[in-house]
Amino acid sequence: MSTHTYKKFEETESGVLPDKMTVYQDCLNEFNESPVNPRRCRTLISRLLQLLAQGETFPKSEATTLFFSVSKLFQQPNDSLRQMVYLAIKELSSISDDVLMATSSIMKDIQNGSDVIKPNAIRSLTRVLDESTAFSAERLLKSAVVSKHPSISSAALVSSYHLLPVAESTVKRYMNETQEVVSDLKTYPYTNGSSEFYPNSTYIAQYHAIGLLCMLKNHDKVALMKLVQQFSTGNLLKNQLAQVELVKLVGELLHKDPQMVTQFAALLSNWLSSKFESVQLQAAKLITSLPDRYVSPELFAAAVQTLQALLSVPRVTTRFAAVRVLNRISMTAPEKIVVCNPELESLINDSNRNISTYAITTLLKTGTSNNIASLIKTITKFIHEISDDFKIIIIDAVRTMCLKFPEEWKSLLDFLINVLKQGEGGFQFKNSIVEALFDLVQFVPQSKEVALENLCDFIEDCEFNEILVRILHLLGKEGPTTKNPSLYVRHIYNRVVLENSIIRSAAVVALSKFALVKNDPTLVESIEILLRRISNDVDDEVRDRATIALQLIESIKSEPQLYVAQDILQCKYSYDLGALESKLNQYMSANEDTYKTPFDVASVPKYTEDERKAIELKKRQEQLFAAPTSKRSGAASQSVDAEKNNSSYVGPTLQEQGEDLMITKYADEIASIEEFKGFGPIINTSKDIPLTETEAEFVVTGVKHLFKNHVVLQFNITDTLTDVALDNVSVVCTPEIENSTELEEVVTIPIERLMPSETSVCYVAFKKSEGNIMEGFLNTLYFTTRELDPNTHEAFEGDEGFQDEYEIDSIFLTAGDYIKGAFVGNFSACFDELPHSEVAVYNIKENISLQDIVDRLVVNTSCLPLENTQFAPSDSNTHTLKLFGKSVMSGARIALVVRMIKSSKGIALKAEGRSDDAQLCGDIVNELM
Amino acid sequence: MSALSLYSVQAVLLLDNEGKRIYTKYYHPPHLTSEQQLSIEQNPIGTSTKQQNDFELRLFKKTHKQNADILIFEDHLILCKEYVDTVLYLVGSIDENELVLQQAFSAIKDSLELILATGIDKKNILEHYDMVALAIDESIDDGIILETDPATIASRVTKPPSKDAQINIELSEKGLLSAWGFAKSKLAERLQQGI
Repeated sequence: MSTHTYKKFEETESGVLPDKMTVYQDCLNEFNESPVNPRRCRTLISRLLQLLAQGETFPKSEATTLFFSVSKLFQQPNDSLRQMVYLAIKELSSISDDVLMATSSIMKDIQNGSDVIKPNAIRSLTRVLDESTAFSAERLLKSAVVSKHPSISSAALVSSYHLLPVAESTVKRYMNETQEVVSDLKTYPYTNGSSEFYPNSTYIAQYHAIGLLCMLKNHDKVALMKLVQQFSTGNLLKNQLAQVELVKLVGELLHKDPQMVTQFAALLSNWLSSKFESVQLQAAKLITSLPDRYVSPELFAAAVQTLQALLSVPRVTTRFAAVRVLNRISMTAPEKIVVCNPELESLINDSNRNISTYAITTLLKTGTSNNIASLIKTITKFIHEISDDFKIIIIDAVRTMCLKFPEEWKSLLDFLINVLKQGEGGFQFKNSIVEALFDLVQFVPQSKEVALENLCDFIEDCEFNEILVRILHLLGKEGPTTKNPSLYVRHIYNRVVLENSIIRSAAVVALSKFALVKNDPTLVESIEILLRRISNDVDDEVRDRATIALQLIESIKSEPQLYVAQDILQCKYSYDLGALESKLNQYMSANEDTYKTPFDVASVPKYTEDERKAIELKKRQEQLFAAPTSKRSGAASQSVDAEKNNSSYVGPTLQEQGEDLMITKYADEIASIEEFKGFGPIINTSKDIPLTETEAEFVVTGVKHLFKNHVVLQFNITDTLTDVALDNVSVVCTPEIENSTELEEVVTIPIERLMPSETSVCYVAFKKSEGNIMEGFLNTLYFTTRELDPNTHEAFEGDEGFQDEYEIDSIFLTAGDYIKGAFVGNFSACFDELPHSEVAVYNIKENISLQDIVDRLVVNTSCLPLENTQFAPSDSNTHTLKLFGKSVMSGARIALVVRMIKSSKGIALKAEGRSDDAQLCGDIVNELM
Repeated sequence: MSALSLYSVQAVLLLDNEGKRIYTKYYHPPHLTSEQQLSIEQNPIGTSTKQQNDFELRLFKKTHKQNADILIFEDHLILCKEYVDTVLYLVGSIDENELVLQQAFSAIKDSLELILATGIDKKNILEHYDMVALAIDESIDDGIILETDPATIASRVTKPPSKDAQINIELSEKGLLSAWGFAKSKLAERLQQGI
């Protein structure tokens, strides 16, 4: 090697990386040299690692060559080079071929190497082994596991853990030795001055051993229980990670079988006062994540207390972890953590913004109507100091409060207006405030006028077109029905004078809607004058819109009985967007023939304003509820992760969308069936109702479709058997009351052949009389089974099969099926105004919580819970549920007030229903449960 | 049984003050069950270098000068520590016990401080890259926390071999002869090249 290449080596310390081919060549040259220079080789390997860490990769052939030249260095007995060699082998083994070749060199080191390199050798060994060769390492790993040296033992355990997916049986053979590691506390031998640092055993091998044991005994519940028992006694576990692992193990057991909580209660409360914070935290996490009814209130309180103590430690991570758990609890059971409020309040100004944001959102959740005002005050003080990301999170939390405490709208509104007008802030931030205000206007009618007025002020100097346009739209929608519409007209017209064409056109549309105000002819006149003036605008879009609006107003005046023009100006209906999208997609993707017929918009369901609000409110409520129940703390992460903020309120979750789409899909399938053509459009479709256990041989779910004069029961049947096909599958539905005259079976459409693991649909149609029919159906599945040839998956020839029947659960047509949830702003006024009333009393003996009853009532009646009554307080024995809905047949309104009291004897319900329709009212009130 | 898994660390990153890589290691179990394989493929920072780079840049932008020691970022729990011109990150699963990860993180951080006696900065890390790589390898083995005591980790990291290459001239007859032979061939080489 000449002097100048040598020079280049010396420069490497500068940190500039040579290109990868140079390193590759240098490595090959240097490693094949004899004798090798250990120092230079180590530098070269480290440079190679640096390249790999930068994301460079080598093609397989080059990597293999590298691997082999690196393994040449095994001839060099230098420990410090050897350690680096192992690192290179670990890195290269995943990208090279034939890594098995290094096995024997590595094994030699494991047997005879020094203590320094033994662990490295053991850990590299797993990389070069595969399924077929893993067994050969058994003896080596076994003796390493029992080694007196903690690092060697740990390395062997971790390596065994890595090997599990390919060689579980091998690892199982030294399970006893693994178990011994836990009780055998190993310390480092006295160092002979080879290193300047004094190793200090943390007994971490216990952690690795427990992790490995848990995996090995994975499926054996009794063995796992025994592990817990064995390791939790005395002071056996010194390592805190090992203790955490044990808590996790208990958690895993409890999540499978929550009944065992009582058995572990003492252990858990012990862990809550462990000397390790990580163990405390894990125990608290576990206790608070278990289903409510299994955990005793004392234990839960103890967990909260532990978390509370963790909130005020100086270590950031601990505070973060604790406040994160509290935040999660606050979504399901805010009342249980109210005790932590003082600590949480002091965290609002924490230097770590993630912690302060969690603290605030938690506080907002634990807020009761009493302390909201003061809380809002605290937030107002510091909201200007934090970044936009966090502001948005806070605004979102406030927004959920608007729905939760409609009666507190005033302070909430003041706060929103305040931040809207004062602060600077980007589009996202302002948009989230405006969204929150929109919610208020929609769902809290009392706040409407104040909110609208303030929005008017805001648009005077708003720099974001998108927001301006949305506000103008809202003003147009809500303004005409307020007490003093002319106020808004002035503001809107100002925009026409001052803003760009996009906003001008939006303003024109908003203005035109004011022309529909009934009792103020002067206002209508002045709108016409304004529009006429606008029709001379420089921008053609604005002119066009103004001219069209004028025409429409004209036609309303001349022919007031025609509602077409009115409908165009102020839509009363909006389409179900999800359904519209899927229909349009279908239309577009079909072949060209379909274009000959125009798209039939009538097939898309339409919603009135009230229905739309009901749907939206329902989605919000479900979101409020769904966020905490989803097992991953996804919602919590969202609230901190600013990047995802946009998505935190966008529309329904996937699953809900799925449900909506299912209904559309069912409707399409039914529409395509010849026999059902005469039935007219579907009026209502229920959700899927499971009629069998999900593990049964045949899994059946039922769906009820209501038509004007017919009922169609749809059975989705899945054959879960692997080797039996079913022929002529039909469902026989017998009404519970025999010879009922109101229902008459029309047709059954059976499934001709149902192959294994297939799902098909069987329909049964009934003709029904005009009114609301309530009926239960006893269902039995009739079919002919045919064994399948396992090779061909065809039925055996000549096998005639045999007839069989299979009983499935009954399906009930209830009053709820005739009702759709609806929204009403002022429930009590509406309730008083309805003419027919009906009262019923129920006594429920089952031992269930009020929340369960509430959930059941909401499902049974298919009404929409209002005024935030869908959450029963868990600390009280009484609750009042308010439900509202409309009949799908006649549109008759129905309002229900259900009062419930829980006592030791069970739950007593008193339901009072009011409706436009006496029969409906009676039906629903008498069939609540 | 995923909650019990020992694979708790997903990556260790050392970035410089512009978010560029100094040391990065994303961990995957060396032998995968099909289930794990799938979850890695779905994981946005699973295998593709480009995605990893993007992830690092986003993370860096989010944490730079923020004084955030711990945060949740794109469904990962992240611990970080900023030095003058480097940032150390530890990426873990979002469901992992924060304090366990903190243990692993401090282990790496403190052992690096022990090894790089003159302080953690970019130049120092690059100069002692071999030791840094060894220290991190001794703390975390493909996602499993291997050791949490900084002194133990530091003591397991060997120093580079001493500077002067071993002068190994055997003063036997054969040694002298071979030395002479070597010198002769080198000389001939130079002469042929015309120096």
